Amino acid sequence: MKTFWEVVRAEPLTDHVPESVTGCYISDLLSDVLAHAQPGVLWLTVQVHRNIVSVAATKDIAAVLITCGRKPDSAVVVEADEAGIALLTTPLSTFAAAGKLWEAGVR
Amino acid sequence: MNAAPAIESGARAGDARKVGVAQVLVYELRVRDAMSKPPVTAAPTDSLRSIQLSMKTHRFSGVPITRDGELLGVVSIEDIINALDQGHINEPAEKWMSRNIVTLRDHFSLVRAVAEFDRHGFGRFPVLDTSDRLVGVITRGDITSCLMQHLERRAEEALALEATLRAAHVDDEKAQRVVIHAHVRTGDYDSAGKLSQRMRTVLRERAIDPEIRRRAAVVAYEAETNIIIHSLGGEIVATIDPDKVGIDATDTGPGIDNIEQAMQEGWSTAGRLPRELGFGAGMGLPNMKRCSDKFEIVSNRIDGTRVHSEIFLRKAA
Repeated sequence: MKTFWEVVRAEPLTDHVPESVTGCYISDLLSDVLAHAQPGVLWLTVQVHRNIVSVAATKDIAAVLITCGRKPDSAVVVEADEAGIALLTTPLSTFAAAGKLWEAGVR
Repeated sequence: MNAAPAIESGARAGDARKVGVAQVLVYELRVRDAMSKPPVTAAPTDSLRSIQLSMKTHRFSGVPITRDGELLGVVSIEDIINALDQGHINEPAEKWMSRNIVTLRDHFSLVRAVAEFDRHGFGRFPVLDTSDRLVGVITRGDITSCLMQHLERRAEEALALEATLRAAHVDDEKAQRVVIHAHVRTGDYDSAGKLSQRMRTVLRERAIDPEIRRRAAVVAYEAETNIIIHSLGGEIVATIDPDKVGIDATDTGPGIDNIEQAMQEGWSTAGRLPRELGFGAGMGLPNMKRCSDKFEIVSNRIDGTRVHSEIFLRKAA
């Protein structure tokens, strides 16, 4: 049984990554995430600016999966660790990652 | 980075969660805090002899070999001994260096670094940042001295805190109201969320219902980013009472021409940079209104914009 992040060949950036998530939300618009994301979900985005940590913390999002092989600065990773938000990066596109997560039962 | 809240809430939660300062520190401090930087390196074309001399001067047991910041390998004391033994000490590093290098990332916690030292038994690790560039070298000695330094600082802080607490205890009774105040600068995207984070901490300590807490946090965060993106600068005050949070955002202009339009989802006047950072969805004001129990906005060309929001609080069931 693979974890959700192994399914998308993701590299965990933070020390702690949850074993599972309660669902998934996809958006690159921060206000859209603030409006619609549910707590505890995995958020897929191409954004790497430190505001992804603030937004995730605001909505109690469990983990942020950065797609298309993009990576945030180390400072952002440290901030995420401190906020208890997991950050991961995957070489897959948002679309491909979402497909694999759906197949793996993340609904 | 500030450890005080973590220690404080840990102690308050009871004995089960009590952790020592040193224990907190190894989780909190990062490899980047402890490593030696910038790293002393050698070029792939340097002779093993020159690297041996460099090791002697610096008392290192290994030197990373780099080209333009990229880590190619490491020459260890063992490589030097072999070279002396087999007579190739004058040959270039790239011919004899070890290429299979285990590295650490600069954002790893020290507890993770210690685990890697235990696992591999190496004396030192080259440290890479997330862009795979060599940014330092770390040894067990670096970790120890970093911990000692921070322990000392914490001890001093603890003494100072004790003094302040004794003084503040008197005010504790009226501390029901907490006011958080922040100046917000135009274009300062890196500071977005600072006030909202402080407010969240207070609400969490007061065991406010998570759903309400998140609504308040959304209002504060959107208010902050609005000022950063659209205004000439301003300030936000979050007034936290036992039964409600008031969030007052005021800026010095330029004001909103058509508030009705601005309140529509999808309408945005944000420029290219904020949009690239994921702002400017045209949902900021609608989000604030939806998350508020009371919401008022006043704006004109002379005074700028003032937003007042209230969120009624309820403790978690």
